[in-house]
Amino acid sequence: MATAEVTQPALRTRSMGSLRHRIANAPVNFFLAFIGILWLLPAAGLFITSLLPPAVSNAEGWWNVFKKPSELTFDNYSQMFDNEQITHALLVTAQVTIGATVLPVLFAALAGYALAWIDFPGADLVFVTIVGLMVVPIQMALIPMFTIYNKTNLYDTVLGLILFHTAFALPLGIFLLRNFFIGIPRDLMEAARIDGASEWRLFFKVVLPLGLPAIAALAIFQVLFVWNDFLVGFVLAQDNTPIAPTLAGQLRQFGSNLDVIAPASFFSAVIPLTVFALFQRYFVQGLLAGSVK
Amino acid sequence: MRSRHWGLLFALALALSVIAAGCGGDDEEGGGATTGAAAAENISGSLSTVAVWTGAEAKAFQQVLDGFKDKYPNVTVKYKGAKDPGQVISTAVQGGNPPDVAALNSPGLMNDFVDQGALKPLEFARGVVAKNYNPDWVKNGVVNGKLYGFFFKGANKSTVWYNTHAFEDAGVEPPKTWEDLLSVGDTLKNSGVPAYSFGASDGWTLTDLFENLYVRQAGPAKYDQLATHKIPWTDQSVKNTLTEMTKVFKDPDNIAGGIQGSLQTNFPDSVTAVFQTQNPKAAMIFEGDFVPGVVAGQTQAKPETDYNVFTFPSVAGKGADYVVGGGDIVVMFKDSAAAKALIRYLASPEAGEIWARQGGFSSPNKNVDVSVYPDEITRTTAGALAKAATFRFDLSDLQPSEFGGDAMFTDLQDFMKNQNVDATAAQLEKDAAAAYK
Amino acid sequence: MTSTSVRAEFPDPVRTPPAPPDRSRLRSFTLPMSFLAPAAILLGVWLLYPAVATVVRAFFDDRGEKFVWFENFDRMFSDPVIHTAIKNNVIWILVAPVAVTSLGLLFAVLIERIAWASALKIVLFMPLAISLFAVGVIWRIMYRDDPSQGALNAGLKVAHDSFSQEGVLPAARPSSDALTDRFVFTRQLSPGDTALMGLTAISESAVPAGAVQAADPESKSGAITGVVWRDFSPGGGEPGVVESGELGIPGVTVNLLRGSDTVQSATTENNGSFEFTGVSGSGYQTQIASKTFAQPYKGVNWLGESLITPSIIIAFLWTSVGFAMVVIGAGLSAIPRDVLEAARTDGGSEFQIFRRVTIPLLMPVLTVVFVTQMIGVLKIFDLIYAIAPGSVQNDATTLAFEMWKRSFSGQNKFGFGAAIAAFLMLLFLPYLIYQVRSQRKNA
Repeated sequence: MATAEVTQPALRTRSMGSLRHRIANAPVNFFLAFIGILWLLPAAGLFITSLLPPAVSNAEGWWNVFKKPSELTFDNYSQMFDNEQITHALLVTAQVTIGATVLPVLFAALAGYALAWIDFPGADLVFVTIVGLMVVPIQMALIPMFTIYNKTNLYDTVLGLILFHTAFALPLGIFLLRNFFIGIPRDLMEAARIDGASEWRLFFKVVLPLGLPAIAALAIFQVLFVWNDFLVGFVLAQDNTPIAPTLAGQLRQFGSNLDVIAPASFFSAVIPLTVFALFQRYFVQGLLAGSVK
Repeated sequence: MRSRHWGLLFALALALSVIAAGCGGDDEEGGGATTGAAAAENISGSLSTVAVWTGAEAKAFQQVLDGFKDKYPNVTVKYKGAKDPGQVISTAVQGGNPPDVAALNSPGLMNDFVDQGALKPLEFARGVVAKNYNPDWVKNGVVNGKLYGFFFKGANKSTVWYNTHAFEDAGVEPPKTWEDLLSVGDTLKNSGVPAYSFGASDGWTLTDLFENLYVRQAGPAKYDQLATHKIPWTDQSVKNTLTEMTKVFKDPDNIAGGIQGSLQTNFPDSVTAVFQTQNPKAAMIFEGDFVPGVVAGQTQAKPETDYNVFTFPSVAGKGADYVVGGGDIVVMFKDSAAAKALIRYLASPEAGEIWARQGGFSSPNKNVDVSVYPDEITRTTAGALAKAATFRFDLSDLQPSEFGGDAMFTDLQDFMKNQNVDATAAQLEKDAAAAYK
Repeated sequence: MTSTSVRAEFPDPVRTPPAPPDRSRLRSFTLPMSFLAPAAILLGVWLLYPAVATVVRAFFDDRGEKFVWFENFDRMFSDPVIHTAIKNNVIWILVAPVAVTSLGLLFAVLIERIAWASALKIVLFMPLAISLFAVGVIWRIMYRDDPSQGALNAGLKVAHDSFSQEGVLPAARPSSDALTDRFVFTRQLSPGDTALMGLTAISESAVPAGAVQAADPESKSGAITGVVWRDFSPGGGEPGVVESGELGIPGVTVNLLRGSDTVQSATTENNGSFEFTGVSGSGYQTQIASKTFAQPYKGVNWLGESLITPSIIIAFLWTSVGFAMVVIGAGLSAIPRDVLEAARTDGGSEFQIFRRVTIPLLMPVLTVVFVTQMIGVLKIFDLIYAIAPGSVQNDATTLAFEMWKRSFSGQNKFGFGAAIAAFLMLLFLPYLIYQVRSQRKNA
């Protein structure tokens, strides 16, 4: 296997400044610029659509707006904020996301640490089982949980959604964190233990802080995933659905939907996008650290 | 190190408090606790209702509920709109949590729920219902001899809406017979605008056309037989109607977007296509009296100046005044004095009139005064609906939902593409047989 | 030799067993248990139990009351819609992960070379922040068939129209039998004859500007005259006859044919009239040039039954390529510089280095991305729900979608749904085994 070298992330030097490289860069720049525009187009379209009154956005393509910029309006957005269902859904989404981020991080860290640093019989078997569980799709749990939730009054509750998402985050979370924790230098752990720290203190004061990159990665991943979840909220909630299924429920039978869906979709993308933009470094780092050996 | 410890605790505390806040207020309150006599003040409780009305319609229904609140101040009613109430309610019933009162958008769905034993009979309201509705309407709410539902909101589907300017330019008048309509369609095409617009992605637009043609061509008696699957879909009468429909489909240039485009267009967009201000894509649309609601929401067309309506024409001289229609049927899942009061209230003309005034609503209640409807067009279509001598409920809505709400749509969509009468009839029969098993 | 794998901050863990604990046996049991307890409870109740329960449920009827052996599976495999679903799943698995990984790799490599890499990364990653349902709605709008409404077809039309022009009167038809379907005046002409070439299915606004009342052509010796006009009066009018109020169509090219040769060409005036002078002999025919009727480009039928699955896959690519690129990019940047330098000094083109050194070093990352995609692709629901119009839902469906549809869309066929879920789980088994194996190898 690999040698025990300290490898730092390789410095990414810009391509050397030779003229040849610069010329070769131009087509790359053009190509990537083209790709960038292509990638922005759908979201830009959504944004512009959210600024157009329904009569206009239904009749013709949004690019025509450049000929008649006066048609742009913020009406759709102000109506969205008046729409109780949507504002309630955004609140529910926030609650579920926070819960389903904090809990998995905590529980996965606990379990990951135990599997990494506490020797007990069957530890390997447990871990392998958890790795296997990573693959189980949500679809496997929907029917039974639907029945159970109804019987235990967890149906259509924020708590129910949080628990469901937390459970499904655990396999990946434990996998990431356990693999990360295993990399903590032995001496650090030994030193802390010798100091007489109990396992709990060790966990909270040494392990967790050290595990921050992987934890950050897991947290970001959960935020992205849970905030945008559709199927779980669709099936296990009714009046308290998060934002994505609520949008689906806004589809009117006899009316078009764009003036509601466009602004709401755009607005609800702001949070996950911000989270990602701020923390992207941790995200990739943590993922790679945990998953690739 | 210490600070991190606190930080973690703080985060935990924050998370827990947020979760707790979330868990606090979302228990749904079920049926009301009632005691005492029938005096309005003594009836109290909390009811939950579900129906298909969202957006502007939800606001209008809320006013109807406010009217109920005036009469029974101690009853609170919560309303929830859903695009597919059948789905929402089915799931709720499965989970043991049905609403108290709901308005289903098809009697077929009501039949399904009666089969499951989920509905309570409305025998206590027989008198009110019989007084306010024509027998053709009442009988659609009766299952196994017991009354389970009545219709609060109706839709007259024997209407055809047209762009007045397109008609003027083509120099044509609203036709009175189907044969005339086909020739008007050709003239419209020659004038440079396609005649027909279909929101075929919503399959019910196709079933509506089928039903209007069938009841006129084959007659109301056969319609009833087909609706209860006493004759198969391979019956010659069905094939005749399918053949009639090919006369519309065979010229894709005369349909907005062609066959391909129609199959991807949903109903609201197919309405916009006819009434948009710039370059309307078609001149006519066969659909019900809910079209003006869409027109008002999505275009700038005005009634009578820009759009108007004519009744679905007779076929081979028959059925000029037949009305095929739909409606939302009010049913009761949980018994209580409050729920019964709500039922009686909704069956009264008063409840209907509140919404009627707002527009975008037709009441099948024959005692609703037509003068409360806001415009002439609605007065005509709504009046025809409530008072029609021969009324038949939308056939697809009478079927078990897996046929009438799904397979029938797919079959007619395929028919629009391939226009093969025999194959389509056979497929319809196969799907119907599977559903009726 | 340098290390050959990718990692972050800690040295490669050589796991030596911790010193034997000098604690009581009870303690060494309760401690790990208490750490593992929350996770264990959640996993047991929400993952393990349901997985088993679903499989068991698949053997009962839809209402959950009767044990029906394999009947649900029988129903499943004899349902043509399920066949389509399975077929679509196969297409997804074969196409999507490969596409995502290769595009991700391509972009990751290229993006190293530009100065504004950070900005581009955010742009490419942004779609992941949007709910898949909203992504579906965005693409649904873009795929609209009509080029004046759907962005994709509009773009294609612009490209197409730079090569070929749409005709002046694309929808026009002959107004009577006087013209054949190919707009040839049926009657054979000799000098002094007139040709009345009437067209319909033209809206008034489609008539080119400057048009005036159509002129009834007059016979002229030694010439063939005629008129091309909008043969429609309110109510239909009389086809084939020039009536008052009917406009001529200017700017149309008319060919004079003899046999199969075009002898002359003329363009109609504002009143639609045209004239071929200096004509002798007989057996002439007039024809409206076909380019007049060149059909407008209709775009591609993205939401039709044949293209619906590729269209949804494209939308999926839009969301996932960014993720793949970011992960692979980080993997790329973690390749120690010296390895590449060594390979370069050993001689070898960039491309060879890429193939022989970079890719093998990247293999772990590429595999992770690839496998994650494969797993993710099997579960897709929101995109199909949002993009596929009702008329093609049965063509776009997958097993995951069918599972939802039969169970939760109002049909309440939970036995059937459970059978589909169980079958879906079977498809996941290879990945499960793969994960477990690779974990065992690493442990």
